[in-house]
Amino acid sequence: MAHYELQKVTFTYPEESMPALRDLSLAIKHGEFVVLCGPSGSGKSTLLRLLKREVSPGGTISGEILLGQVPLQEWPAKELAAHVGLVMQNPDNQLVVDTVEHELAFGMENFGLERGAMRRRMAEMAGFFGLEPFLDRKTDELSGGQKQTVNLAAVLMLQPRVLLLDEPLAQLDPLAARELLGMIKRLNDEWGITVIMSEHRTDDLLPLADRVVRMEQGKIAYNGDSRNFVLEAWGRSDEACALPSITRWALEQAPPPSHFAEDEPPLTVKETRRWLDRASESLTDVRNTSASSEDSAEQKASHLAPSAASRVASTVNAKSIKPLLAANGLFYAYDKYSPIVLKGLEWQIRRGDWTVLFGGNGSGKSTLLQLLAGLRLPQRGSVQWEGTPFAKMSSKQRYSVIGYLAQNPVLHYAHDSLLEDLRQAATRAGAHDPEQEARNMAERFGIAHLLSRHPHDMSGGEQQLGALALTLLSKPELLLLDEPTKGLDPMTKLILGKHLQHIHKQGTTLLMATHDVEFAAAYANRCSLLFHGEIVADGEPESFFQGNLFYATPLHRLIALGEATPR
Amino acid sequence: MKEGFGFRSLHPIIIFMYYAGGITFGMLLFHPLILLVGWVMAVIVNVHLDGGREWRKWCIPMLSGVVLIAVVNPILSHRGRTVLYYLGDIPITLESVIYGATLAISMLNLLTFFVTYRLVMTEQKFLFLFTRISPKAALVAMMAMGLVPRLRRRMQELILIQRTRGVTISEGSLPQRARNGARLVGTLLSWTLEDALQTADSMQARGYGTGTRSSYLGFRFRMRDGWTLVGFVSCAILLLSAWGNGHGFMTIYPRLGSFSLSLGDGLALAAYVVYLAIPLGWEWRDRRAWLITNYRR
Repeated sequence: MAHYELQKVTFTYPEESMPALRDLSLAIKHGEFVVLCGPSGSGKSTLLRLLKREVSPGGTISGEILLGQVPLQEWPAKELAAHVGLVMQNPDNQLVVDTVEHELAFGMENFGLERGAMRRRMAEMAGFFGLEPFLDRKTDELSGGQKQTVNLAAVLMLQPRVLLLDEPLAQLDPLAARELLGMIKRLNDEWGITVIMSEHRTDDLLPLADRVVRMEQGKIAYNGDSRNFVLEAWGRSDEACALPSITRWALEQAPPPSHFAEDEPPLTVKETRRWLDRASESLTDVRNTSASSEDSAEQKASHLAPSAASRVASTVNAKSIKPLLAANGLFYAYDKYSPIVLKGLEWQIRRGDWTVLFGGNGSGKSTLLQLLAGLRLPQRGSVQWEGTPFAKMSSKQRYSVIGYLAQNPVLHYAHDSLLEDLRQAATRAGAHDPEQEARNMAERFGIAHLLSRHPHDMSGGEQQLGALALTLLSKPELLLLDEPTKGLDPMTKLILGKHLQHIHKQGTTLLMATHDVEFAAAYANRCSLLFHGEIVADGEPESFFQGNLFYATPLHRLIALGEATPR
Repeated sequence: MKEGFGFRSLHPIIIFMYYAGGITFGMLLFHPLILLVGWVMAVIVNVHLDGGREWRKWCIPMLSGVVLIAVVNPILSHRGRTVLYYLGDIPITLESVIYGATLAISMLNLLTFFVTYRLVMTEQKFLFLFTRISPKAALVAMMAMGLVPRLRRRMQELILIQRTRGVTISEGSLPQRARNGARLVGTLLSWTLEDALQTADSMQARGYGTGTRSSYLGFRFRMRDGWTLVGFVSCAILLLSAWGNGHGFMTIYPRLGSFSLSLGDGLALAAYVVYLAIPLGWEWRDRRAWLITNYRR
């Protein structure tokens, strides 16, 4: 019996000529784990919102949406709200009240539950999610991952049968995302809750999903299991960027044969390891011999870094050059009573670097970037720009040579339209024709069609590109980026990477703090690790990644495992 | 000591009654000695609850306000028979000096007493009471409380980042700063409103508005609340009957009366002191329990 059933649903937003969903039919069974993927604007969010009547957008709809064989609009309000739970992208905005305990109780209060029943559910759910130590805390003091866990728990308090998740992991760092994903998987496995989840990070999701639905321009382009999804995407090589890198690597080694074993193509490091072993046992099956498959893994790894050799040369040369930006013994704490964030940090950025800064959550990456941008002053130590301490530079001078892109791009906008914001930035940078300059910049970043839009009405990726354009108008020599790839879909990430590459080629030195190991491996020429208030590792990507298991791409992990086995 | 022990363990309604009564009596009684004793009691309550930390924080603003009252009253009011001396041609009377001093003590007493309110009546307890009166208004109050720290944090971020764009309130000419300030506030508001739409969705998704709301907050009315209530009511009856018979305040105008306490005044004072001290009984009781626990270890 199908749980949710969409029959030829067509949906058009008001004042739009093109429908957002076109003739969409889909049946979802009880207890299924369904992943919705597809580029931004393909209708994933629209679909999820139509499945949850309380938040359905206004517009014209034709076709039928059935939940348990009853049309959605005929369900009584209370039952429906409890039956289907929804968690959205932004962890902050879904929190309604001030403390964790009360947030969890909010839904139950809406249903007028008895106090005893509420406390019992609270006890159960707090136990399941390990939220007991946080119950008395203010929701505002929690980390992003904890907030999202609270949001999930708050929805589950109503004991829903279906859980809709609209990019719940997009704003989280990889560790928190994986933790939350594990929780969702447990709910699906242990409680049999149907999960329908839209997400860009398909590489973590493919091994878990029962079914993958790929949407394109309001239509279903693919509907089937994960492994076939991989093959199908591989077949249309254009979308291969959404595949897990390890799977892509395996497919590159041996083009898909007509028949697959049960765990092929491999989706995880473990499966790939097994796949490699099998390939080396039967020499005839795969063209690669055991030795060359190991070799090719290493070759591929060095291939990942397109110009590894030239990068080495550039870093060797750079050692003799005066550093562009130098941090000398930085000490920083937010106030007297809070723990110290940076402890005598020494670091140098050289001209031509594209440095990536790794570090755990709350390790002070953002703080360090803000210190290096001159936004905050260290309690001890100093930052020097080409040998001149920040204290001797005017703030305007500092802000024009060092560009800073915050984690949240919304912070960069202050006007009512993108054009106005860009023009203001161009005027400040001293452009002769600010209007033209602004338009050129928008053209360059492919956001010219958004110029009249209010910045808050743009999507996350568009806001990110716009903020980058704003920062670049002052033509900085050094650009600091704080988690630029957070919440971006693979396509936008690729575009962002291309733009950054272009800027780098033109001579801008780049420094970005990120959790995105794959992105760093693809572009950076220097990697550093911040830990305990100091830089503990600093070097070229290859040597950096090879020594790591956690801050490493799956491919590097595979190689590290391969090297560990005695040959 | 934490929530659940001593004074803080009492039911929100009892706590609310304590403060309502304490403030009413503090205003009804007008005798410098009685008020002075009341103030000493309020200080003792403060010391019991948090070692007087919160009270010390308020000391200077409180004292300056009180000194102001004591000084201004004789200058503005010239009632009373006994003129002490002339300030220019303004007569300063003994009565208005005493009246000002009494008024000052009364203020000091009420303020000191009210400092403990913030310590005992936590937001949770207040909301519990408030939800009874109006569930909707309580929810709005709760959301507002959640919003304040969020707004403050966002404003700090916005100020930090917008400075790189030259939108700052710490540089430039005054009109420029004012414009920038307005721009920052405007941006903060439109950003927050945008987010509020998502919050509304999140509320709807969890069934807000599908029926009457219940309240999760729960406080049990225990034995000790009952005993405390009995104590409060008996003290209040004693005090009010004494007050109704004209005791508990001193004649100041037109001619200064005696400072000494009549029997009725003494009764009112005793009832007042006992009333203020009742919650401390629970504090002492629980403290003893702690002592016993510690010795055993």
